[in-house]
Amino acid sequence: MGAWVAPAKALLLLGMGLYLALLIASGNLTNYINLRFAWLAYIGAAIFLILGLVSAYSLLRPPAHSHAHYRIGWDVLLIIAFPLLLALFLPSRALGVEAINGGVSLRPVGAPAAFSRSPLDRNVLDWLREFDRAAPVTFNGAPADVSGFVYREPSFAPEEFMLSRFTMSCCVADAFPIGMPARADAAAEYATGAWLRVRGELRASAFDGELLPVLLAHTLEAIDEPAQPYLYP
Amino acid sequence: MQKTAEQNAALPLKLLGLALLAVLFLAGTGYQALQSGLEYRLVLGVFATRFLGIFIEAVPFLLLGSLTSGLIETFVKADDILRFLPRNRLGATVGGAFLGLIFPVCECGVVPVTRRLFSKGLPVSMGIAFLLAAPFMNPIVFASTYIAFGIGPVFIGRLVITIAVAVFVGLVIGGLASPRAVLKPIALGAAGHSHDHAQGSARERLLQALQIASDEFFEMGRFLIMGSALAALLQTLVPQESLLALGTGPVLSVVFMQILAYMLSVCSTVDSFLALAFVNTFTTGAIVSFLSFGPMVDIKSTLMFAGVFRRRIVLYLILLPFALNLLAGVLINAALGT
Repeated sequence: MGAWVAPAKALLLLGMGLYLALLIASGNLTNYINLRFAWLAYIGAAIFLILGLVSAYSLLRPPAHSHAHYRIGWDVLLIIAFPLLLALFLPSRALGVEAINGGVSLRPVGAPAAFSRSPLDRNVLDWLREFDRAAPVTFNGAPADVSGFVYREPSFAPEEFMLSRFTMSCCVADAFPIGMPARADAAAEYATGAWLRVRGELRASAFDGELLPVLLAHTLEAIDEPAQPYLYP
Repeated sequence: MQKTAEQNAALPLKLLGLALLAVLFLAGTGYQALQSGLEYRLVLGVFATRFLGIFIEAVPFLLLGSLTSGLIETFVKADDILRFLPRNRLGATVGGAFLGLIFPVCECGVVPVTRRLFSKGLPVSMGIAFLLAAPFMNPIVFASTYIAFGIGPVFIGRLVITIAVAVFVGLVIGGLASPRAVLKPIALGAAGHSHDHAQGSARERLLQALQIASDEFFEMGRFLIMGSALAALLQTLVPQESLLALGTGPVLSVVFMQILAYMLSVCSTVDSFLALAFVNTFTTGAIVSFLSFGPMVDIKSTLMFAGVFRRRIVLYLILLPFALNLLAGVLINAALGT
Protein backbone atom coordinates (compact mmCIF):
# COMPACT_ATOMS: atom_id res chain seq x y z
CA MET A 1 0.00 0.00 0.00
CA GLY A 2 1.47 3.30 -1.07
CA ALA A 3 2.21 6.16 1.28
CA TRP A 4 -0.22 8.33 -0.68
CA VAL A 5 -3.29 6.38 0.46
CA ALA A 6 -3.61 8.03 3.89
CA PRO A 7 -3.35 11.62 2.55
CA ALA A 8 -5.77 10.75 -0.24
CA LYS A 9 -8.28 9.45 2.30
CA ALA A 10 -8.03 12.61 4.40
CA LEU A 11 -8.41 14.71 1.26
CA LEU A 12 -11.49 12.79 0.09
CA LEU A 13 -13.18 13.07 3.51
CA LEU A 14 -12.51 16.81 3.64
CA GLY A 15 -13.63 17.13 0.01
CA MET A 16 -16.93 15.39 0.74
CA GLY A 17 -17.52 17.65 3.75
CA LEU A 18 -16.74 20.76 1.71
CA TYR A 19 -18.98 19.58 -1.14
CA LEU A 20 -21.97 19.12 1.16
CA ALA A 21 -21.24 22.46 2.87
CA LEU A 22 -21.07 24.19 -0.54
CA LEU A 23 -24.35 22.60 -1.62
CA ILE A 24 -26.00 23.95 1.53
CA ALA A 25 -24.43 27.41 1.16
CA SER A 26 -25.24 27.78 -2.56
CA GLY A 27 -28.82 26.56 -2.22
CA ASN A 28 -28.15 23.86 -4.82
CA LEU A 29 -29.16 21.26 -2.22
CA THR A 30 -32.75 21.85 -3.40
CA ASN A 31 -31.80 20.20 -6.71
CA TYR A 32 -31.32 16.88 -4.93
CA ILE A 33 -33.35 16.45 -1.77
CA ASN A 34 -36.54 17.66 -0.15
CA LEU A 35 -35.56 20.56 2.10
CA ARG A 36 -37.52 18.88 4.88
CA PHE A 37 -34.47 16.59 5.12
CA ALA A 38 -31.80 19.29 4.74
CA TRP A 39 -30.68 18.54 8.32
CA LEU A 40 -29.33 15.24 6.99
CA ALA A 41 -26.87 17.12 4.79
CA TYR A 42 -25.82 19.25 7.78
CA ILE A 43 -25.07 16.10 9.79
CA GLY A 44 -23.26 14.56 6.82
CA ALA A 45 -21.09 17.64 6.27
CA ALA A 46 -20.21 17.84 9.98
CA ILE A 47 -19.22 14.16 10.28
CA PHE A 48 -17.18 14.27 7.05
CA LEU A 49 -15.28 17.34 8.21
CA ILE A 50 -14.61 15.82 11.65
CA LEU A 51 -13.41 12.53 10.14
CA GLY A 52 -11.31 14.43 7.60
CA LEU A 53 -9.68 16.60 10.25
CA VAL A 54 -8.96 13.59 12.47
CA SER A 55 -7.39 11.79 9.49
CA ALA A 56 -5.29 14.84 8.64
CA TYR A 57 -4.26 15.18 12.29
CA SER A 58 -3.14 11.56 12.51
CA LEU A 59 -1.06 12.09 9.36
CA LEU A 60 0.97 14.63 11.28
CA ARG A 61 1.00 12.65 14.51
CA PRO A 62 0.69 8.95 13.73
CA PRO A 63 -1.13 7.01 16.48
CA ALA A 64 0.85 4.73 18.81
CA HIS A 65 -0.15 1.53 17.10
CA SER A 66 -1.25 1.89 13.54
CA HIS A 67 -3.62 -0.74 12.27
CA ALA A 68 -4.87 -1.36 8.79
CA HIS A 69 -8.14 -3.20 9.25
CA TYR A 70 -9.03 -2.95 5.64
CA ARG A 71 -6.66 -2.64 2.79
CA ILE A 72 -7.87 0.34 0.84
CA GLY A 73 -6.46 0.50 -2.66
CA TRP A 74 -6.69 2.89 -5.56
CA ASP A 75 -9.89 1.22 -6.79
CA VAL A 76 -11.73 2.07 -3.56
CA LEU A 77 -10.41 5.63 -3.63
CA LEU A 78 -11.52 5.99 -7.24
CA ILE A 79 -15.05 4.83 -6.44
CA ILE A 80 -15.29 7.12 -3.41
CA ALA A 81 -14.07 10.01 -5.58
CA PHE A 82 -16.76 9.35 -8.21
CA PRO A 83 -19.48 11.58 -6.69
CA LEU A 84 -16.98 14.40 -6.23
CA LEU A 85 -15.78 14.08 -9.83
CA LEU A 86 -19.37 14.23 -11.12
CA ALA A 87 -20.05 17.28 -8.95
CA LEU A 88 -16.83 18.93 -10.12
CA PHE A 89 -17.24 18.41 -13.85
CA LEU A 90 -21.00 18.61 -14.38
CA PRO A 91 -23.08 21.68 -13.48
CA SER A 92 -25.58 21.15 -10.66
CA ARG A 93 -29.04 20.88 -12.19
CA ALA A 94 -32.53 20.02 -11.07
CA LEU A 95 -34.42 17.34 -12.98
CA GLY A 96 -36.08 18.96 -15.98
CA VAL A 97 -38.01 17.97 -19.06
CA GLU A 98 -35.15 15.78 -20.32
CA ALA A 99 -35.55 13.54 -17.25
CA ILE A 100 -39.12 12.61 -18.22
CA ASN A 101 -39.03 9.01 -19.25
CA GLY A 102 -42.48 7.71 -20.15
CA GLY A 103 -44.80 10.69 -19.96
CA VAL A 104 -46.25 13.13 -17.46
CA SER A 105 -48.93 12.02 -15.01
CA LEU A 106 -52.29 13.77 -14.76
CA ARG A 107 -52.88 12.19 -11.36
CA PRO A 108 -51.87 13.88 -8.10
CA VAL A 109 -49.15 12.45 -5.89
CA GLY A 110 -49.38 11.87 -2.15
CA ALA A 111 -52.21 12.10 0.34
CA PRO A 112 -55.16 14.38 -0.50
CA ALA A 113 -54.67 17.84 0.98
CA ALA A 114 -56.51 18.46 4.24
CA PHE A 115 -57.69 21.88 3.06
CA SER A 116 -58.14 23.51 -0.30
CA ARG A 117 -56.21 26.65 -1.28
CA SER A 118 -57.86 29.55 -3.04
CA PRO A 119 -57.62 29.13 -6.84
CA LEU A 120 -54.96 31.77 -7.51
CA ASP A 121 -52.60 30.23 -4.91
CA ARG A 122 -52.76 26.71 -6.33
CA ASN A 123 -49.73 25.11 -7.94
CA VAL A 124 -49.82 22.24 -10.44
CA LEU A 125 -50.10 19.63 -7.67
CA ASP A 126 -52.92 21.51 -5.90
CA TRP A 127 -54.85 21.71 -9.16
CA LEU A 128 -54.46 18.00 -9.89
CA ARG A 129 -55.76 17.24 -6.40
CA GLU A 130 -58.81 19.41 -7.14
CA PHE A 131 -59.30 17.76 -10.54
CA ASP A 132 -59.28 14.40 -8.78
CA ARG A 133 -62.40 15.10 -6.75
CA ALA A 134 -64.77 16.78 -9.22
CA ALA A 135 -65.90 16.56 -12.85
CA PRO A 136 -64.01 18.71 -15.38
CA VAL A 137 -66.96 21.06 -16.04
CA THR A 138 -67.11 22.14 -12.37
CA PHE A 139 -63.91 24.15 -12.90
CA ASN A 140 -65.23 26.18 -15.83
CA GLY A 141 -64.26 29.82 -15.42
CA ALA A 142 -61.98 29.31 -12.40
CA PRO A 143 -59.00 31.71 -12.52
CA ALA A 144 -55.50 30.21 -12.37
CA ASP A 145 -51.93 31.49 -12.00
CA VAL A 146 -49.53 28.56 -12.30
CA SER A 147 -45.81 28.07 -12.97
CA GLY A 148 -44.12 25.06 -14.50
CA PHE A 149 -42.12 23.86 -17.47
CA VAL A 150 -43.43 23.01 -20.92
CA TYR A 151 -43.88 19.35 -21.81
CA ARG A 152 -45.24 18.11 -25.12
CA GLU A 153 -46.25 14.74 -26.54
CA PRO A 154 -45.85 14.19 -30.31
CA SER A 155 -49.67 13.91 -30.58
CA PHE A 156 -50.33 17.39 -29.13
CA ALA A 157 -51.67 20.21 -31.32
CA PRO A 158 -49.28 23.20 -31.74
CA GLU A 159 -51.15 25.32 -29.15
CA GLU A 160 -51.33 22.47 -26.61
CA PHE A 161 -48.82 21.64 -23.88
CA MET A 162 -48.65 20.29 -20.35
CA LEU A 163 -47.54 22.74 -17.66
CA SER A 164 -45.40 20.33 -15.64
CA ARG A 165 -43.47 19.97 -12.41
CA PHE A 166 -41.57 17.19 -10.68
CA THR A 167 -42.87 16.21 -7.27
CA MET A 168 -40.39 14.97 -4.67
CA SER A 169 -41.17 13.34 -1.33
CA CYS A 170 -37.65 12.69 -0.07
CA CYS A 171 -35.00 12.92 -2.77
CA VAL A 172 -34.76 12.70 -6.56
CA ALA A 173 -35.06 8.91 -6.24
CA ASP A 174 -38.81 9.38 -5.98
CA ALA A 175 -39.14 12.43 -8.26
CA PHE A 176 -42.28 12.06 -10.37
CA PRO A 177 -43.43 14.29 -13.24
CA ILE A 178 -46.98 15.64 -13.10
CA GLY A 179 -48.66 18.25 -15.26
CA MET A 180 -51.89 20.06 -16.09
CA PRO A 181 -53.15 20.47 -19.66
CA ALA A 182 -52.81 24.00 -21.03
CA ARG A 183 -53.61 25.76 -24.28
CA ALA A 184 -52.23 29.03 -25.64
CA ASP A 185 -52.11 30.54 -29.12
CA ALA A 186 -48.50 31.60 -28.57
CA ALA A 187 -47.46 28.23 -27.10
CA ALA A 188 -45.28 27.32 -30.08
CA GLU A 189 -42.96 30.25 -29.29
CA TYR A 190 -41.78 28.49 -26.14
CA ALA A 191 -39.44 25.54 -26.34
CA THR A 192 -40.13 22.27 -24.62
CA GLY A 193 -38.61 22.47 -21.16
CA ALA A 194 -38.93 26.28 -20.89
CA TRP A 195 -40.23 27.59 -17.56
CA LEU A 196 -43.46 29.58 -17.85
CA ARG A 197 -45.83 31.45 -15.60
CA VAL A 198 -49.30 31.01 -17.07
CA ARG A 199 -52.26 33.16 -16.08
CA GLY A 200 -55.70 32.36 -17.41
CA GLU A 201 -58.84 30.39 -16.67
CA LEU A 202 -59.94 26.79 -16.73
CA ARG A 203 -62.40 25.32 -19.19
CA ALA A 204 -63.39 21.71 -19.76
CA SER A 205 -62.53 20.75 -23.29
CA ALA A 206 -61.09 17.98 -25.43
CA PHE A 207 -57.30 17.79 -24.93
CA ASP A 208 -55.38 15.16 -26.87
CA GLY A 209 -58.65 13.25 -27.32
CA GLU A 210 -59.88 13.39 -23.72
CA LEU A 211 -62.31 15.70 -21.86
CA LEU A 212 -60.15 17.47 -19.28
CA PRO A 213 -60.08 20.76 -17.37
CA VAL A 214 -57.73 22.77 -19.59
CA LEU A 215 -55.88 25.91 -18.57
CA LEU A 216 -56.63 28.53 -21.24
CA ALA A 217 -53.78 31.02 -21.09
CA HIS A 218 -54.46 34.75 -21.17
CA THR A 219 -50.82 35.63 -20.61
CA LEU A 220 -47.61 33.61 -20.91
CA GLU A 221 -44.48 34.82 -19.17
CA ALA A 222 -41.06 33.19 -19.48
CA ILE A 223 -39.50 32.82 -16.02
CA ASP A 224 -36.30 31.46 -14.50
CA GLU A 225 -36.32 28.04 -12.90
CA PRO A 226 -37.67 28.61 -9.36
CA ALA A 227 -35.29 28.36 -6.38
CA GLN A 228 -37.28 25.32 -5.29
CA PRO A 229 -37.79 23.50 -8.60
CA TYR A 230 -39.76 20.58 -7.13
CA LEU A 231 -43.17 20.42 -5.49
CA TYR A 232 -43.27 18.69 -2.11
CA PRO A 233 -46.37 16.55 -1.63
CA MET B 1 0.25 -11.67 4.68
CA GLN B 2 -1.96 -13.98 2.75
CA LYS B 3 -4.32 -11.07 2.31
CA THR B 4 -1.83 -8.96 0.37
CA ALA B 5 -1.13 -11.79 -2.01
CA GLU B 6 -4.82 -12.22 -2.56
CA GLN B 7 -5.13 -8.52 -3.29
CA ASN B 8 -2.32 -8.51 -5.81
CA ALA B 9 -3.80 -11.48 -7.62
CA ALA B 10 -7.12 -9.66 -7.74
CA LEU B 11 -5.72 -6.53 -9.40
CA PRO B 12 -6.49 -7.47 -13.03
CA LEU B 13 -9.91 -8.65 -11.86
CA LYS B 14 -10.59 -5.28 -10.25
CA LEU B 15 -9.50 -3.43 -13.38
CA LEU B 16 -11.78 -5.65 -15.43
CA GLY B 17 -14.66 -5.05 -13.03
CA LEU B 18 -14.30 -1.28 -13.14
CA ALA B 19 -13.91 -1.31 -16.91
CA LEU B 20 -17.03 -3.47 -17.23
CA LEU B 21 -19.01 -1.04 -15.08
CA ALA B 22 -17.80 1.87 -17.19
CA VAL B 23 -18.79 0.11 -20.43
CA LEU B 24 -22.22 -0.80 -19.04
CA PHE B 25 -22.69 2.79 -17.97
CA LEU B 26 -21.66 4.29 -21.32
CA ALA B 27 -23.75 1.79 -23.28
CA GLY B 28 -26.84 2.44 -21.15
CA THR B 29 -26.65 6.22 -21.21
CA GLY B 30 -25.61 6.22 -24.88
CA TYR B 31 -28.59 4.07 -25.84
CA GLN B 32 -30.88 6.35 -23.88
CA ALA B 33 -29.50 9.43 -25.66
CA LEU B 34 -29.98 7.82 -29.09
CA GLN B 35 -33.46 6.57 -28.30
CA SER B 36 -34.77 9.83 -26.81
CA GLY B 37 -32.93 12.07 -29.28
CA LEU B 38 -31.44 14.09 -26.41
CA GLU B 39 -27.90 15.39 -26.30
CA TYR B 40 -25.62 13.01 -24.41
CA ARG B 41 -24.66 15.85 -22.05
CA LEU B 42 -28.31 16.10 -20.91
CA VAL B 43 -28.69 12.35 -20.29
CA LEU B 44 -25.49 12.43 -18.27
CA GLY B 45 -26.85 15.41 -16.34
CA VAL B 46 -30.05 13.54 -15.47
CA PHE B 47 -28.02 10.57 -14.27
CA ALA B 48 -25.76 12.84 -12.20
CA THR B 49 -28.70 14.54 -10.50
CA ARG B 50 -30.41 11.23 -9.70
CA PHE B 51 -27.18 9.66 -8.46
CA LEU B 52 -26.12 12.60 -6.30
CA GLY B 53 -29.64 12.87 -4.87
CA ILE B 54 -29.66 9.26 -3.69
CA PHE B 55 -26.09 9.53 -2.44
CA ILE B 56 -26.64 12.78 -0.52
CA GLU B 57 -29.79 11.42 1.10
CA ALA B 58 -28.15 8.13 2.12
CA VAL B 59 -24.58 9.04 3.04
CA PRO B 60 -25.36 10.75 6.39
CA PHE B 61 -26.94 7.49 7.54
CA LEU B 62 -23.90 5.50 6.46
CA LEU B 63 -21.72 7.94 8.40
CA LEU B 64 -23.87 7.58 11.51
CA GLY B 65 -23.67 3.80 11.12
CA SER B 66 -19.88 3.99 10.71
CA LEU B 67 -19.58 6.14 13.84
CA THR B 68 -21.74 3.68 15.78
CA SER B 69 -19.53 0.88 14.51
CA GLY B 70 -16.37 2.70 15.60
CA LEU B 71 -17.81 3.43 19.05
CA ILE B 72 -18.84 -0.22 19.49
CA GLU B 73 -15.35 -1.33 18.52
CA THR B 74 -13.61 0.90 21.06
CA PHE B 75 -16.11 1.07 23.92
CA VAL B 76 -17.84 -2.34 23.94
CA LYS B 77 -15.96 -5.45 24.98
CA ALA B 78 -16.78 -8.67 23.16
CA ASP B 79 -17.32 -10.36 26.54
CA ASP B 80 -20.01 -7.83 27.46
CA ILE B 81 -22.04 -8.67 24.38
CA LEU B 82 -21.68 -12.42 24.84
CA ARG B 83 -22.69 -12.19 28.50
CA PHE B 84 -26.06 -10.60 27.75
CA LEU B 85 -27.01 -12.98 24.94
CA PRO B 86 -29.96 -15.30 25.50
CA ARG B 87 -28.78 -18.89 25.65
CA ASN B 88 -31.11 -20.52 23.14
CA ARG B 89 -31.11 -19.70 19.45
CA LEU B 90 -34.77 -18.70 19.17
CA GLY B 91 -34.44 -16.25 22.03
CA ALA B 92 -31.26 -14.76 20.58
CA THR B 93 -32.80 -14.43 17.10
CA VAL B 94 -35.94 -12.73 18.37
CA GLY B 95 -33.69 -10.49 20.44
CA GLY B 96 -31.75 -9.69 17.26
CA ALA B 97 -34.93 -8.45 15.60
CA PHE B 98 -35.37 -5.95 18.45
CA LEU B 99 -31.69 -4.96 18.73
CA GLY B 100 -32.35 -1.97 16.47
CA LEU B 101 -34.04 -0.26 19.41
CA ILE B 102 -30.59 -0.10 21.07
CA PHE B 103 -28.53 0.52 17.90
CA PRO B 104 -30.76 2.82 15.83
CA VAL B 105 -29.52 2.51 12.25
CA CYS B 106 -31.16 2.50 8.84
CA GLU B 107 -30.29 0.18 5.97
CA CYS B 108 -27.22 2.17 4.97
CA GLY B 109 -25.82 2.10 8.48
CA VAL B 110 -26.88 -1.38 9.56
CA VAL B 111 -24.32 -3.30 7.53
CA PRO B 112 -21.16 -1.87 9.17
CA VAL B 113 -22.75 -2.23 12.61
CA THR B 114 -23.75 -5.84 11.93
CA ARG B 115 -20.30 -6.68 10.69
CA ARG B 116 -18.77 -5.13 13.79
CA LEU B 117 -21.14 -7.08 16.03
CA PHE B 118 -20.28 -10.30 14.16
CA SER B 119 -16.60 -9.68 14.76
CA LYS B 120 -17.43 -9.24 18.47
CA GLY B 121 -18.94 -12.71 18.46
CA LEU B 122 -22.63 -12.13 17.77
CA PRO B 123 -24.30 -15.39 16.62
CA VAL B 124 -25.16 -15.56 12.90
CA SER B 125 -28.92 -16.00 13.35
CA MET B 126 -29.13 -13.03 15.70
CA GLY B 127 -27.00 -10.83 13.44
CA ILE B 128 -29.11 -11.63 10.38
CA ALA B 129 -32.35 -10.92 12.27
CA PHE B 130 -30.82 -7.61 13.34
CA LEU B 131 -29.63 -6.85 9.80
CA LEU B 132 -33.06 -7.39 8.28
CA ALA B 133 -35.20 -5.87 11.04
CA ALA B 134 -33.15 -2.93 12.34
CA PRO B 135 -33.76 -0.58 9.38
CA PHE B 136 -37.43 -0.51 10.41
CA MET B 137 -37.17 -1.48 14.08
CA ASN B 138 -35.87 1.84 15.30
CA PRO B 139 -37.44 4.97 16.76
CA ILE B 140 -36.78 7.21 13.75
CA VAL B 141 -38.50 4.93 11.25
CA PHE B 142 -41.36 4.22 13.65
CA ALA B 143 -41.91 7.97 13.73
CA SER B 144 -41.80 8.48 9.96
CA THR B 145 -44.14 5.53 9.33
CA TYR B 146 -46.53 6.83 11.98
CA ILE B 147 -46.49 10.34 10.51
CA ALA B 148 -47.26 8.97 7.04
CA PHE B 149 -49.81 6.28 7.85
CA GLY B 150 -50.87 6.56 11.52
CA ILE B 151 -51.48 3.40 13.53
CA GLY B 152 -53.36 1.27 11.02
CA PRO B 153 -53.00 -1.79 8.82
CA VAL B 154 -49.88 -0.40 7.14
CA PHE B 155 -47.97 0.32 10.38
CA ILE B 156 -49.00 -2.89 12.13
CA GLY B 157 -48.49 -4.99 8.99
CA ARG B 158 -45.02 -3.54 8.51
CA LEU B 159 -44.10 -4.25 12.14
CA VAL B 160 -45.39 -7.84 12.25
CA ILE B 161 -44.02 -8.85 8.85
CA THR B 162 -40.61 -7.30 9.49
CA ILE B 163 -40.16 -9.20 12.77
CA ALA B 164 -41.52 -12.48 11.38
CA VAL B 165 -39.39 -12.44 8.22
CA ALA B 166 -36.23 -11.35 10.04
CA VAL B 167 -36.55 -14.08 12.69
CA PHE B 168 -37.39 -16.75 10.11
CA VAL B 169 -34.50 -15.91 7.78
CA GLY B 170 -32.13 -15.61 10.74
CA LEU B 171 -33.10 -19.06 12.01
CA VAL B 172 -32.84 -20.65 8.57
CA ILE B 173 -29.40 -19.27 7.67
CA GLY B 174 -28.03 -19.48 11.21
CA GLY B 175 -29.35 -23.02 11.61
CA LEU B 176 -28.12 -24.46 8.33
CA ALA B 177 -24.60 -23.14 8.08
CA SER B 178 -21.58 -22.52 10.28
CA PRO B 179 -20.35 -18.94 10.74
CA ARG B 180 -17.38 -19.73 8.49
CA ALA B 181 -19.70 -20.72 5.66
CA VAL B 182 -21.80 -17.58 6.09
CA LEU B 183 -19.37 -14.76 6.80
CA LYS B 184 -16.36 -13.48 4.92
CA PRO B 185 -13.12 -13.77 6.90
CA ILE B 186 -13.12 -10.02 7.59
CA ALA B 187 -16.36 -10.28 9.60
CA LEU B 188 -15.21 -13.27 11.63
CA GLY B 189 -14.05 -12.49 15.14
CA ALA B 190 -10.55 -13.91 15.04
CA ALA B 191 -9.38 -12.75 11.63
CA GLY B 192 -7.51 -9.46 11.42
CA HIS B 193 -7.96 -8.58 15.09
CA SER B 194 -5.23 -9.86 17.33
CA HIS B 195 -5.89 -7.09 19.84
CA ASP B 196 -9.00 -5.69 21.48
CA HIS B 197 -9.54 -1.96 20.95
CA ALA B 198 -11.75 -1.53 23.98
CA GLN B 199 -8.95 -0.23 26.19
CA GLY B 200 -7.03 2.98 26.87
CA SER B 201 -8.23 6.42 27.97
CA ALA B 202 -11.56 7.81 26.78
CA ARG B 203 -9.80 10.34 24.54
CA GLU B 204 -7.65 7.67 22.91
CA ARG B 205 -10.69 5.48 22.41
CA LEU B 206 -12.65 8.32 20.84
CA LEU B 207 -9.82 9.09 18.39
CA GLN B 208 -9.62 5.37 17.60
CA ALA B 209 -13.39 5.26 17.08
CA LEU B 210 -13.17 8.12 14.59
CA GLN B 211 -10.31 6.43 12.72
CA ILE B 212 -12.28 3.21 12.51
CA ALA B 213 -15.35 5.15 11.36
CA SER B 214 -13.31 6.61 8.48
CA ASP B 215 -12.07 3.16 7.47
CA GLU B 216 -15.61 1.86 7.69
CA PHE B 217 -16.84 4.68 5.46
CA PHE B 218 -14.31 3.83 2.75
CA GLU B 219 -15.02 0.13 3.06
CA MET B 220 -18.83 0.42 2.91
CA GLY B 221 -19.07 3.72 1.04
CA ARG B 222 -17.86 2.16 -2.19
CA PHE B 223 -20.79 -0.24 -2.15
CA LEU B 224 -23.19 2.58 -1.39
CA ILE B 225 -21.78 4.58 -4.30
CA MET B 226 -21.90 1.68 -6.77
CA GLY B 227 -25.42 0.82 -5.59
CA SER B 228 -26.61 4.41 -5.89
CA ALA B 229 -25.09 4.63 -9.37
CA LEU B 230 -26.86 1.42 -10.41
CA ALA B 231 -30.19 2.62 -9.00
CA ALA B 232 -29.79 6.01 -10.71
CA LEU B 233 -28.89 4.31 -13.99
CA LEU B 234 -31.97 2.07 -13.84
CA GLN B 235 -34.18 5.04 -13.04
CA THR B 236 -32.72 6.99 -15.93
CA LEU B 237 -33.23 4.08 -18.35
CA VAL B 238 -36.41 2.31 -17.18
CA PRO B 239 -39.59 4.43 -17.08
CA GLN B 240 -41.29 4.22 -13.68
CA GLU B 241 -44.66 4.28 -15.41
CA SER B 242 -43.97 1.02 -17.21
CA LEU B 243 -43.78 -0.61 -13.78
CA LEU B 244 -46.84 1.21 -12.49
CA ALA B 245 -48.93 0.20 -15.47
CA LEU B 246 -48.19 -3.46 -14.81
CA GLY B 247 -48.74 -3.29 -11.09
CA THR B 248 -52.41 -4.18 -10.71
CA GLY B 249 -54.03 -7.25 -9.17
CA PRO B 250 -53.52 -8.76 -5.72
CA VAL B 251 -50.34 -10.70 -6.60
CA LEU B 252 -48.69 -8.73 -9.39
CA SER B 253 -49.04 -5.45 -7.51
CA VAL B 254 -47.03 -6.90 -4.61
CA VAL B 255 -44.37 -8.31 -6.95
CA PHE B 256 -43.97 -4.97 -8.70
CA MET B 257 -43.87 -2.89 -5.55
CA GLN B 258 -41.14 -5.15 -4.20
CA ILE B 259 -39.14 -4.86 -7.42
CA LEU B 260 -39.65 -1.11 -7.27
CA ALA B 261 -38.47 -1.03 -3.65
CA TYR B 262 -35.39 -3.00 -4.65
CA MET B 263 -34.60 -0.71 -7.57
CA LEU B 264 -35.34 2.62 -5.92
CA SER B 265 -33.10 1.90 -2.91
CA VAL B 266 -34.69 4.68 -0.89
CA CYS B 267 -33.65 4.99 2.75
CA SER B 268 -35.96 3.37 5.29
CA THR B 269 -36.24 6.59 7.25
CA VAL B 270 -38.07 8.26 4.38
CA ASP B 271 -39.64 5.43 2.40
CA SER B 272 -43.02 5.91 4.10
CA PHE B 273 -43.39 9.29 2.46
CA LEU B 274 -42.51 7.75 -0.87
CA ALA B 275 -45.02 4.93 -0.34
CA LEU B 276 -47.71 7.57 0.20
CA ALA B 277 -47.30 8.40 -3.47
CA PHE B 278 -48.55 4.93 -4.39
CA VAL B 279 -51.45 4.63 -1.96
CA ASN B 280 -54.02 5.50 -4.62
CA THR B 281 -52.55 3.23 -7.30
CA PHE B 282 -51.61 0.09 -5.40
CA THR B 283 -53.19 -2.50 -3.10
CA THR B 284 -52.60 -2.29 0.67
CA GLY B 285 -50.67 -5.56 0.59
CA ALA B 286 -48.35 -4.09 -2.02
CA ILE B 287 -47.74 -0.96 0.09
CA VAL B 288 -46.97 -3.04 3.20
CA SER B 289 -44.63 -5.34 1.28
CA PHE B 290 -42.92 -2.34 -0.28
CA LEU B 291 -42.29 -0.98 3.21
CA SER B 292 -41.21 -4.24 4.83
CA PHE B 293 -39.11 -5.61 1.96
CA GLY B 294 -37.43 -2.37 0.82
CA PRO B 295 -35.48 -1.74 4.05
CA MET B 296 -34.31 -5.37 4.19
CA VAL B 297 -32.82 -5.59 0.71
CA ASP B 298 -32.19 -3.20 -2.15
CA ILE B 299 -29.54 -2.60 -4.76
CA LYS B 300 -27.13 -0.69 -2.55
CA SER B 301 -27.52 -2.97 0.49
CA THR B 302 -26.99 -6.02 -1.76
CA LEU B 303 -23.60 -4.61 -2.69
CA MET B 304 -22.85 -3.85 0.95
CA PHE B 305 -23.92 -7.39 1.97
CA ALA B 306 -21.30 -8.66 -0.46
CA GLY B 307 -18.67 -7.10 1.79
CA VAL B 308 -19.80 -9.17 4.79
CA PHE B 309 -21.35 -12.40 3.60
CA ARG B 310 -20.27 -15.10 1.24
CA ARG B 311 -21.84 -14.91 -2.19
CA ARG B 312 -24.29 -17.77 -1.77
CA ILE B 313 -25.59 -16.28 1.48
CA VAL B 314 -26.12 -12.89 -0.20
CA LEU B 315 -28.39 -14.66 -2.68
CA TYR B 316 -30.40 -16.26 0.15
CA LEU B 317 -30.59 -12.89 1.88
CA ILE B 318 -32.33 -11.47 -1.19
CA LEU B 319 -34.54 -14.37 -2.27
CA LEU B 320 -35.85 -15.50 1.14
CA PRO B 321 -37.10 -12.04 2.22
CA PHE B 322 -38.49 -11.47 -1.27
CA ALA B 323 -40.54 -14.68 -1.20
CA LEU B 324 -41.70 -14.24 2.41
CA ASN B 325 -42.71 -10.60 1.98
CA LEU B 326 -44.52 -11.50 -1.22
CA LEU B 327 -46.46 -14.19 0.63
CA ALA B 328 -47.34 -11.76 3.40
CA GLY B 329 -48.46 -9.06 0.97
CA VAL B 330 -50.68 -11.48 -0.96
CA LEU B 331 -52.20 -12.75 2.30
CA ILE B 332 -52.99 -9.17 3.37
CA ASN B 333 -54.67 -8.53 0.02
CA ALA B 334 -56.68 -11.75 0.37
CA ALA B 335 -57.73 -10.82 3.92
CA LEU B 336 -58.77 -7.30 2.91
CA GLY B 337 -60.52 -8.66 -0.19
CA THR B 338 -58.83 -6.41 -2.74
